[in-house]
Amino acid sequence: MLIALLSIFIVGLIAPGLYSVLREKTGWVLAILPFSVFIYFLTLFPAIADGEVITQSTDWVPLFDVTLSFYLDGLSMLFALLVTGIGTFIVLYGSGYLAGHEYIGRFFCTILLFMGSMLGVVLADNLITLFVFWELTSFTSYLLIGFSHDSAESRNSALQALLVTGIGGLALLAGLILMGYTAGTFEMSEILNSGDVLRESPLYLGILILILAGAFTKSAQFPFHFWLPGAMAAPTPVSAYLHSATMVKAGVYLLARVHPAMGDTDLWFYLVTGFGAATLLISAWLALCYTDMKQILAYTTVMVLATLTMLIGMGFPLAHQAAAVYILGHALYKASLFMVAGAIDHEAGTRDIAKLGGLRSLMPISAVAAALAALSMAGIAPFFGFIGKELLYEAALEAPMWSTLLISIAVLGNIAVVAAAGIVAIKPFYGPKVETPKHAHEAPLSMWIGPITLASLGVVFGSLPFLIDSSLIVPTASAIYGETLDFYLSLWHGINLPLILSVVTLLGGIAVYKIWTGLQSSTPAGLYSTTFHDGPKGGYQFLVDGMLSTAGWQTRVLQNGMLRYYVLTIVVTMAVAIGYTFMSRAGFAWNNELGSVELYEWTLFATIIASALIAVMVRSRLAIIVALGVIGFGLALIYLMYGAPDLAMTQVLVETLTVILVALVLVHMPPLKKSEAAGSKFRDAVIALTLGGIFTAMTLTAMTLPFDLFISEQFAEWSYPAAHGRNIVNVILVDFRALDTMGEVVVVAVAGLAVYALVKMNKKQSKNGGAES
Amino acid sequence: MESISQLLHFFPLIIVTIGSLVVMMVDAFSKDTAKLYYLSVFFLIAALAASISDVFGPAGEAFYGMAVYGGTSAMGGVIVLLGTLFVVLLCKEYLTAIKHHVGEVYSLILFCTVGMLVLVTANDLVTLFLGVETMSIALYVLAGLIKRDKAGAEAALKYFLLGAFATGFFLYGIALLYGAAGSTQLTAIAEVTDGGLIYWGGLAMLLVGIFFKISAVPFHMWTPDVYQGAPTLITAYMATASKAAVIVALIILLGRAFPDIHSDWAEVFQVIAVLTMILGNVIALVQDNMKRMLAYSSIAHVGYIMVGLVAGTAAGYSGVMYYLFAYTIMNVGAFGVVAYYERQKGLDFTNMENYGGLGYKQPMFGVAMSIFMFSLAGIPPFAGFIGKYQVFAAAVYEGYIGLVLVGVITSVIGVYYYIRVLVYLYMREPESDTVFQQPGMVYKTAILVLAIMTIYFGIQPGALSEIFTQGFEQLQIMAATGR
Repeated sequence: MLIALLSIFIVGLIAPGLYSVLREKTGWVLAILPFSVFIYFLTLFPAIADGEVITQSTDWVPLFDVTLSFYLDGLSMLFALLVTGIGTFIVLYGSGYLAGHEYIGRFFCTILLFMGSMLGVVLADNLITLFVFWELTSFTSYLLIGFSHDSAESRNSALQALLVTGIGGLALLAGLILMGYTAGTFEMSEILNSGDVLRESPLYLGILILILAGAFTKSAQFPFHFWLPGAMAAPTPVSAYLHSATMVKAGVYLLARVHPAMGDTDLWFYLVTGFGAATLLISAWLALCYTDMKQILAYTTVMVLATLTMLIGMGFPLAHQAAAVYILGHALYKASLFMVAGAIDHEAGTRDIAKLGGLRSLMPISAVAAALAALSMAGIAPFFGFIGKELLYEAALEAPMWSTLLISIAVLGNIAVVAAAGIVAIKPFYGPKVETPKHAHEAPLSMWIGPITLASLGVVFGSLPFLIDSSLIVPTASAIYGETLDFYLSLWHGINLPLILSVVTLLGGIAVYKIWTGLQSSTPAGLYSTTFHDGPKGGYQFLVDGMLSTAGWQTRVLQNGMLRYYVLTIVVTMAVAIGYTFMSRAGFAWNNELGSVELYEWTLFATIIASALIAVMVRSRLAIIVALGVIGFGLALIYLMYGAPDLAMTQVLVETLTVILVALVLVHMPPLKKSEAAGSKFRDAVIALTLGGIFTAMTLTAMTLPFDLFISEQFAEWSYPAAHGRNIVNVILVDFRALDTMGEVVVVAVAGLAVYALVKMNKKQSKNGGAES
Repeated sequence: MESISQLLHFFPLIIVTIGSLVVMMVDAFSKDTAKLYYLSVFFLIAALAASISDVFGPAGEAFYGMAVYGGTSAMGGVIVLLGTLFVVLLCKEYLTAIKHHVGEVYSLILFCTVGMLVLVTANDLVTLFLGVETMSIALYVLAGLIKRDKAGAEAALKYFLLGAFATGFFLYGIALLYGAAGSTQLTAIAEVTDGGLIYWGGLAMLLVGIFFKISAVPFHMWTPDVYQGAPTLITAYMATASKAAVIVALIILLGRAFPDIHSDWAEVFQVIAVLTMILGNVIALVQDNMKRMLAYSSIAHVGYIMVGLVAGTAAGYSGVMYYLFAYTIMNVGAFGVVAYYERQKGLDFTNMENYGGLGYKQPMFGVAMSIFMFSLAGIPPFAGFIGKYQVFAAAVYEGYIGLVLVGVITSVIGVYYYIRVLVYLYMREPESDTVFQQPGMVYKTAILVLAIMTIYFGIQPGALSEIFTQGFEQLQIMAATGR
């Protein structure tokens, strides 16, 4: 399987090169590849049909248990066949649709890369491998949707799709990591057996929400459904592939995959079924608000995805049978309908239903394909879609909770689908001829072979369900449910409630179809689409715009290049952080036994405080410096008074130097701004007082700590007996800390050398006429 | 002489120190700046080789507990030296092109690297301070390398003033911690777990000093201004090697001095990490200047790194080490490409608007830039993804799920502005038909090697991660608590 996968990636990368050699035959040659992979999976088919599971594994990053491992059961097999089978037709179709396009080589490259990624998603056993492929599908689909990158709309919708599915994808990553840690393994095949551990874990809710976020965004469930219709800006081959059978189904695949491990809880039922049902109802009717064929198809796709989500959420065998049938049936008819829509667009120059009609005689093969696919979509016997719909109704009727509500939603949704099927398959081909922008004629072979084959399969599987029921549908449903199931499919179940409901659906659908033209342009329809399409989309737009404008605001207000605001930010944060620590955990304490304070000490303190106030008040830079200098010298005096002459000495020297240097620099600077607003003055005062208060408190607290005299006593004690020196300072410098002193001497020597070098360099440069400053 | 024999464990540091002095001396007596370049490269390669061999050597404390060697320290040294080496390799051509190929650049870079190598071996607050200051003072000068450029001078001055301000906090914090613990040695500080207000206050101020150096929000304000004003490759150096050095020092500090109060500092780190990730990513969205965008992106990356630190486990710390490694190679690469575009005459290529169609003009650089951008965005299978995965996984394992969610969401925002660069490179029409100067062999090869490393360590991260993980056991960073 690894080889099959790698070959797709490699051929994908060299596809643009192949195109420059093979030109228009490229499509036919490249189609051999997915087709042979399809055949390869067919050879594994008998084993899967017997209920076996095939696994293969190669080490990738052993340290984090990341392996390139693959897992093939019924569910994976169904998807692998769809991905490669439909992929074969898409490559052909694309070569016709984009014939002569400037970037067709790039199209082949990205569509094959996408195919490989999608195959990776459905085959991956390791969670991290799954995620890597999952992100690759998002990313390649971004390239595909934005294929015609000179149109702004196309770029925007590509970005929108990438952002929505990307956010979901990363949520999924978090969910998968949590799931792996909780279950103690990163292999899906092992996780499926540790469902009880997961369900009882306190993290269950978190894992579930994260994984659902990934699946719902990918499969366009409410309220993330808006990106899929937007993504219709993609070239039609891309929509037919990504948005019918593959990428959007990845979310459904994931739900089906994890159901045995995560499902079977009330929470699962409420969330998955609930969101599925809500999306079903909303999207099915949204489809009728549009006249663009692709928009209609997009919303019916959302509706089917929602049906699948709902069925998987119900979590009992019958529902999963229905899901398995639906996945296959939908892929067959939807891909062909998309391809037909593309063919009409390509040949007639528009895909707006309102501008199309009577194409039947001009495009006979496409008309047949469309009719077959639409009948399956509408769920009419003996098509495969009929079996799916019957099973859906049966499942909804047998649902453990809310069955009345679910069945009503299912019927209402399907009425809209029947009408939509009529709109896309009947309106353009029948009725009076309408003048189209281009003179329409039948599409080339490469473009009709796909739809007609796929649509015919819908009839074959529908009338002869035994062809696939025990070999493909049963293993798939078993994989979703988690235990081996045994059933068979048939068209005729006798006259029962589902059949009656089917008839109701059909009649309702036809009725809606009849009044559609009026309905579509009516005010309620407009209102409806505003609420459920533009609403969520507006929400997304609001978030994106909001983020950008917040960022802009931040840059203007905080990052304004003014040093004093930067300092202000640091100081405020500091004050808050230490103030918080102070309040929350550390007791403030000070030494109560203060000695008596003499008059000269009071004078000194008063001078220091007065200078500090002056430094804040005055407007002249020089005066500020002088005031600060007075504070420094005052401190030096304090050191002197309390017996630290060396410290006082240093302080005096440093202070003198600083005052002189700063004064020299400041002379060249412009005078200070005259006055500031009272508000900002007040703000500064508060901040300064707070920070000063905190520092004072800290200094006072530090005083309560006992002073460790060990080292000074040690030096005094050993100075004479050990080093024969009476001057303790000398002994410390040359004896106790000899190595330090030597280090200092070295530093001074090096510095001296450097100064010499600088002087020398200066001379050299002045000789050269000072070329480089 | 125990101390002398311990010197042997600090070969990379010694080589670079000697190198910096030699280069300075040669600079004073010779006119040939190219000679300095070759000398610097020679010393850096020697030091890199020495520090790689140290990774597989023994580990322990030296100089009466002032410094540590081997394990994490050695790996930190490798990351720092790798970043420095590539910056120096790219520097010559870039500086010549912008007519500022002056000799002191090399000695300053080497001095700065000395400070970084001291940092990654610090086992004492004093050593830490020594390293930070040696590094910073050289960086202040480097930032203002182009003296005539007003923006550059402003950047250097701002950097210096704010840096000095932060140093004040740093020093105050050291003093208070000494007061609380009675020692500046990390392992001795670890024995105190609650020394009252001066302990917590000291820790807070020490961290403010460090947060400033790694530009964590809200101490990041200097970063965009300085990154924009400094010469591009010096920016690359500041963004990679210096950050990596400080973060490795932070790992050693947290692991050896504050392991028992992990739950306390993790709270603060969480808040800072969330702020950093959100602010860094969101503001990067609206930047049109390429260098400012990369500056905010580097802020955002610090946020992700802090997620790994919050985890506070061996897995978290070694994830951070891997992240630093990946971050260094991909960021030097990205800045390298920007520096190449920037020196083309006639257009201001620091502005993204002017990047239209550049991908086709120099195909190799376009592809390399795409690789770096994907990797920075954390898209598999590039090295950046593996780093992100490791830090996030470590945090999830420790139960910081909300934090990781913020990380994940901000990563998505990040994808937007990284991809935006590619949109300009490939999907816009070129602004002008300037003929591009051909890059030199060394420049081209260096970028190519960086791109290949970004891919290689994304696909095959196994061996390197194992080394990073083992380094922790060796140096017993976590020994104090046995976590």
